[in-house]
Amino acid sequence: MRVSISWLKELVDLNISIEKLIALLPLRSISIKEANPDSIELDMKGYNRADLLSMRGVAREVVAVTNSKLNLSDEEVDFPNLPKVKVTVENENLCPVYCVAKIENLKVEHSLDTWVKKLSNSGIRSINSVADVTNLIMLEFGQPMHAFDARGVKDEYIIVRRSKNKERITTLDGKTRDLEDDLLITDSLNALGLAGVMGGKDSEITDSTTTILLEAAIFDPVSIRKTAQRHGLPSEAAKRFQHGLTKTNLLQALSAAIKMYEQMGGKLTAITLVGNLEDQPKIVELTQEKVNSLIGVNIPPEQVKDSLQKLGFSMQNQEVTVPYWRLDINIEEDLIEEVARMYGYENIPPQELRGKPPEKVDQIFPNFIYNLKKILADLGLTEIQTYSFYSSKTINDLRFTIYDLIKISNPISSETEYMRDNLWPNLLEVVAKNIKNGFKDIAIFEIGKVYIPQKEDLPKETYRVSISLMNGSDNPMQELYMIACKILNEDPDDSCLNLVPNDLNPLQLFHPKRNFLADYQGKQIGMIAEIHPRLVNKFGVEQRVAVLEVEIEALI
Amino acid sequence: MKQKISQIQKEYLEKIKEAKTLKKLDEIFLALFGKKGELALLPKEFGKLSSDEKRKVSPLFNKVKLELEKEISEKRFAVREASYEKLDREKLDLDKKVEIKKRQGHLHPLTQIEQQTAEIFQKIGFSQFEAPHIDSDYNNFEVLNIPQNHPARDLWDTLYIIPGKLLLRTHTSNAQIRILEQNKPPIRMMNIGRCFRYEAVDARHEHTFEQFELVYVDKNVSMANLQYLSEYLFQAIFGPEIKVRLKPKYYPFVEPGVGVDGLCIFCKGKGCKVCGGLGWLELAGAGMIHPKVLKAGGIDPNIYSGIAWGFGPPRMAMLKFSIEDIRLFNSGDLRFLGGLK
Repeated sequence: MRVSISWLKELVDLNISIEKLIALLPLRSISIKEANPDSIELDMKGYNRADLLSMRGVAREVVAVTNSKLNLSDEEVDFPNLPKVKVTVENENLCPVYCVAKIENLKVEHSLDTWVKKLSNSGIRSINSVADVTNLIMLEFGQPMHAFDARGVKDEYIIVRRSKNKERITTLDGKTRDLEDDLLITDSLNALGLAGVMGGKDSEITDSTTTILLEAAIFDPVSIRKTAQRHGLPSEAAKRFQHGLTKTNLLQALSAAIKMYEQMGGKLTAITLVGNLEDQPKIVELTQEKVNSLIGVNIPPEQVKDSLQKLGFSMQNQEVTVPYWRLDINIEEDLIEEVARMYGYENIPPQELRGKPPEKVDQIFPNFIYNLKKILADLGLTEIQTYSFYSSKTINDLRFTIYDLIKISNPISSETEYMRDNLWPNLLEVVAKNIKNGFKDIAIFEIGKVYIPQKEDLPKETYRVSISLMNGSDNPMQELYMIACKILNEDPDDSCLNLVPNDLNPLQLFHPKRNFLADYQGKQIGMIAEIHPRLVNKFGVEQRVAVLEVEIEALI
Repeated sequence: MKQKISQIQKEYLEKIKEAKTLKKLDEIFLALFGKKGELALLPKEFGKLSSDEKRKVSPLFNKVKLELEKEISEKRFAVREASYEKLDREKLDLDKKVEIKKRQGHLHPLTQIEQQTAEIFQKIGFSQFEAPHIDSDYNNFEVLNIPQNHPARDLWDTLYIIPGKLLLRTHTSNAQIRILEQNKPPIRMMNIGRCFRYEAVDARHEHTFEQFELVYVDKNVSMANLQYLSEYLFQAIFGPEIKVRLKPKYYPFVEPGVGVDGLCIFCKGKGCKVCGGLGWLELAGAGMIHPKVLKAGGIDPNIYSGIAWGFGPPRMAMLKFSIEDIRLFNSGDLRFLGGLK
């Protein structure tokens, strides 16, 4: 949400400087993404404060945290008795509220400079006077609006329904879109718009528009989210539908919009309100005891009450009534957060952990891994970490059977498509890269997970240690074997590892004579081999490279 | 000119044919295509030719050039394949004892930060807990109060194995439900490890990164304890003068939600480039475990409360070791990994 500073000053008699406000908001309310002389951008990504997607909501919040005076009051809602626009809502769950006002006698012009500035400070481009009203109202109240040119709506009859099989629409951006279970606004013949996401071309406001059908509605957030994602249209309106809207606010916004059109010479000639238009008041219980125990500070009851009242809550005994604009408040802990932030998180003193620590848990596994890393580093090896994926080069050059690998269904690129089931190919890639950077001797290791698909259940993940050695000799496995014996804490003279020639080498990944399964104390723990020079050559280097790969579990 | 080209062609085809080593082939390549190579110098002489001659010579030149390049590359392949044949005659020969060379070894900077963190928290009774990298949508999102199609999902761009069902964990918080289910309060656990996001990679963003997270559940656990834990860790890592302050932050699986700022270690609060002039750096995310999550883990939120607290070791290592590019951690680049003290 980009907050226009001059607009905010219209709504609030601010008693601190903008600089101080910018420093205070992150401590009391929400992080700031960016600030410039015209606007402050609140970091709303994923956030649950729907009310902060409106200037009115931001003004109320600013007033509460700065003790400033609010320059606005709730809009009076009193719609005259007029004929109705014909509306059919086919699915109430997807569209619990649908309101439409017919306004005639309009003239499409350039917007006033003050409007253009308000919009541009808020990050929205001015279109024309009639369309701009809908955006100004959305910014002020957080309620999206849409104006249809009445000429584009057959018989001025609006239907809200799901899209039909193979139905298409051309949206305002000129694109023709195939529809798939999208919520639509239609007339008796054609789709007029993707509900809550984008209007259609046929009913767009143009220079010759004189009569509009002004829509204010509440749509199902999940349906809107799916449509916005499916069509790649993350609009300002869609964002607000997804965060949630209130009926009280909708009626105020509609009323304010009609007034703006009337001031432009427009005439309200018909209005229809479909659905239950009253918000259910929410009451949440709050106990002083829970406030103190969860925050860890004794906050006097008067201060608790005062904090909540400043934010628009009312409190009677332990019952707190939530203001209609705070959809995010549902449980006691939500209220405690309100009290805590008004108190100032930064004022909460540190409190040592009390109570008996739990019984010690077996830490053999993490301790073993760290000790092994230390032993290897002390032996002169450098620890590396590589991706949990195989690079596309590795996949191609090793000719792995990709069907045996775990596949990402939405990879960022071919470099994140398949998960590794061995560590050593990634180490080989690292060895080659470092040789090209001029290294003449490379001794590296990685301890990390490999991922093995399972028919059922979650894939199997196990920790392995892999070592790769390039020491400039034409038989680096000799030295690697000595390193292996050191890890096992065995005397190399007593053939610490029993090497069983590995006859399985169908892809010729390994040297025909230097390719072994490693047996230790009677069990197979992994492999040790020289990588086939052909494979090394494919990575653009000539040196001999030996690798070892062992299951950590087998070593403990 | 035509004759000269033909002569080079003939002479070098013969040389390539006779070459038996890669080294010899490299020499031939240089003699042809190097800075002063015979073929490389030829085009300079084309200027003297009449345009008619040029029209005839150019295609021939190109043909010969390609042919020789191809011959060298094919011969290289053949020499290599022949050398691979000889591998069968090589042995392992472990009887000959070799010494392990003296080298300077290094632990990865993330291992250093993570081990230090684990040891600091072990001192006050925390234990390490293991959780999978590949997990269900339920454990990673739904049980953490992040339903399908909720706007909060925008906080985590996710790599899926089976969309909507199986994914690469986006945070260590997938350990939370397991920790709560498998332990009875008092609980002091931590999970450290790899997480994944659908993220375009640049100097500050990685699709594969490490997280640290602790879960602390007991009677009367409070935000004051959270302030304590934050100070406790960051003063141990950055020194006793580091100040820590909490601020509101939204995560669906905690309430209240907390962001943890540390006084900028570079400017000590004056405001600098690293902290964007703010004087503070956001170092961790935390909060009081949401009662829904406690309940899902079989713990009564009316009796117990808890803290979830986490940070990114890569960011911490970048601050501590002045590393400017997050991609270095997974690069295996020894100029970087061997250069850190």
